[in-house]
Amino acid sequence: MRDVLLTTIRGLGFGSVYAMLAVSFVIIYKSSKVISFAQPALMLAGAVLVSYLAGPVGFYLAVPLAAIGIAALGLGLERTTIRPMIGRPVFVVAIITLGLDIAIRVVVNVFIGPDVRNVGDPWGLNTVDVAGLPVQERYIAMVAVLVVVVGALFAFFRYSRYGLAMRAASLDQETAMVQGVSVGAMTALAWAMAGGLAAVAGAFVGAGGGVDQSTWIIALKALPAIIIGGLDSIEGAVVGGLLVGIVESFFASYQGEYLPWLGQNFSLVSPYVLLLVVLLVKPYGLFGTREVERV
Amino acid sequence: MSSTTTRRRVAAASLAGLAVFAAGCRGGSEDPADGGGGEGGSIATDVGVTSDPCPEAVNPDNGCIYLGTLSDLTVGPFAAAGPTIVAGQEAFWNRVNEDGGIGGYDVNVSEYVRDNQYNPQVTNQVYQEIKPDILGLAQTLGSPPTASIVEDLAAEDIVAAPAGWTSLYLFQDVILESGPTYCAEAMNGVDYAAETYSAQSVMAVHYAGDYGGDAAAGASVAAEANGLDFANVETTAGTDNQSAAVAAIVDQQPDVVVVSTGPADMATIVGQSVAAGFQGRFLGSSPTWNAALLQSPAAPALTASYQLLGPWGPWDTDTPGHEAMRAAAGDTTPNEFFLSGWVWSYPMKAALEAAAESGDLTREGLANASAALESVDYEGILPEGSGNYANGGDAAAVRTTQLSDVSADASTGVTVAEADLEGSTAEGYEFTEACYEAIDLG
Repeated sequence: MRDVLLTTIRGLGFGSVYAMLAVSFVIIYKSSKVISFAQPALMLAGAVLVSYLAGPVGFYLAVPLAAIGIAALGLGLERTTIRPMIGRPVFVVAIITLGLDIAIRVVVNVFIGPDVRNVGDPWGLNTVDVAGLPVQERYIAMVAVLVVVVGALFAFFRYSRYGLAMRAASLDQETAMVQGVSVGAMTALAWAMAGGLAAVAGAFVGAGGGVDQSTWIIALKALPAIIIGGLDSIEGAVVGGLLVGIVESFFASYQGEYLPWLGQNFSLVSPYVLLLVVLLVKPYGLFGTREVERV
Repeated sequence: MSSTTTRRRVAAASLAGLAVFAAGCRGGSEDPADGGGGEGGSIATDVGVTSDPCPEAVNPDNGCIYLGTLSDLTVGPFAAAGPTIVAGQEAFWNRVNEDGGIGGYDVNVSEYVRDNQYNPQVTNQVYQEIKPDILGLAQTLGSPPTASIVEDLAAEDIVAAPAGWTSLYLFQDVILESGPTYCAEAMNGVDYAAETYSAQSVMAVHYAGDYGGDAAAGASVAAEANGLDFANVETTAGTDNQSAAVAAIVDQQPDVVVVSTGPADMATIVGQSVAAGFQGRFLGSSPTWNAALLQSPAAPALTASYQLLGPWGPWDTDTPGHEAMRAAAGDTTPNEFFLSGWVWSYPMKAALEAAAESGDLTREGLANASAALESVDYEGILPEGSGNYANGGDAAAVRTTQLSDVSADASTGVTVAEADLEGSTAEGYEFTEACYEAIDLG
């Protein structure tokens, strides 16, 4: 039972990071109907920025500063490369984000260099006793930051004028424009928010182990999460991310013992198995909007 | 179609044809340098050697030997290592040039540096681009990328220095490898663990393929030779993907774990396992170490439980070769990849010197000279007799390893604990093909 609980907590920890990344994908998708493949690079850039800022200003200040910096980068990307593509097929825009990802990573790699960069988090691999369980502090921090970030996002979308405007723009752009909403500004805001979220996720990806040039791959774990949750649902992204983390954690701990015939490292495949199962039952994901098509 | 358009197309086609013709001449003709560089006039040359000096030549009176580099410089998995390896080899050849060059020629390794992105297709493409202009390759990084060009290298007699230690290189004639393979390294590590730590069980945690698979094969052979239990755990890159490996270690509690991953993954495996109560030892293959890990949360666990299996002594080692490398590095931040770029260059220097000595710096002359090398002077970095390419893969295999402890005082965070370690397993093992292909890990 002890091991099961520890495995669950580890899954929730990593799942929280996947969830933050998944939410960043969904925010862009809702505003632009595009899956942005630049998110891995923005996550890496955020983590590296934290690693540089943590020394002078400390980790707790470095994270929001990096989030602001990467949000500004996201805003800049939207204005320079995405805005001119309005009206073009979303496939083209997706390919552009792929190019942006590579370009940003090449630049960020220069700042990483050949070493592993430490993000300066205060938790390291320390554990804390929770009801007799030695729980790693960073997992608690990951879950806590997810709760804070998602809570803030829901409050923003529900109670703020800009949040309402973003929701309106994502539902129907033309109607929103008629009501005086600047759809372009809302898209830019979405890209900035997604950049900031990716940066926060990056800081926590690096917690306990640091970041190197290959860390960007972790962001791709968000892809099964957003499909499981439903591409256009923020709550779906949160649930999807947590599910991916937990399923992966359980397969990593127990599959070798109970299902050895599946081969080694099946935990890497497990999120995609979950994805297939979910799509068989709910083709639009757990919380996705069912598309209504006129025929 | 208008006549203007037709004329333009004819003109464009003519220009293209001219360009192809010019390129063909460049690659196929005898170079005007035939007859030697600055000093002799008796050295035959063909491709990649000119009587004109190198760009920004150290010795303007010398001719120029061009060596290409195919390295992972931007987006591949070893992009962190590639540029530093290139810097190390540039420092090495700069020193050669400052000492007068080879046979009246300076050696240029900067003009034809290309990014292979660790991708076989890209490697082949950029290799074809530089092939007409180079005598050999100062570096080809990665076995899969190198595999995509190795047949052509052999067909064209293009000699290449690799960046890696897989045992596959022992059996590729145009590849001038240096130091012990991952396979021999792991054998020595397991022999050492059996003797020093009285280990009864060994687990290999490794990436698949020519690196991790090679080390795991060596660990498997040594475990069998020592009568130890052996467990094979394959893992994949990514610090978030090491939970299964950690679970296997904590669950099975082997006495020693041979880790063959990247540095961040190794630190995750060691840090997490120790945090979960694992009390055995870790031995890491040479690519597992990075000095920055001393600033990571895993540092205490690494200092207490981890040792590095290295092909040669780390940065601070006291040999003439290391001393020359440190002098050439100047203010460069100490880095083991820089040292590797330096060491991997020695066989090419020996081959070029032998070819120049025999009066034949053609590709065929260089290939013949390298195939006849029975030893290379590594200035003490590798044992006497290393660099024996004349007598097959088994004779070429170096079997000594440097075992290092983690030390915060050392320039690159590691200091030699056991020099020239050569266990009975590696000593008695006959290399007949790549270990990871010969040994079934089950």
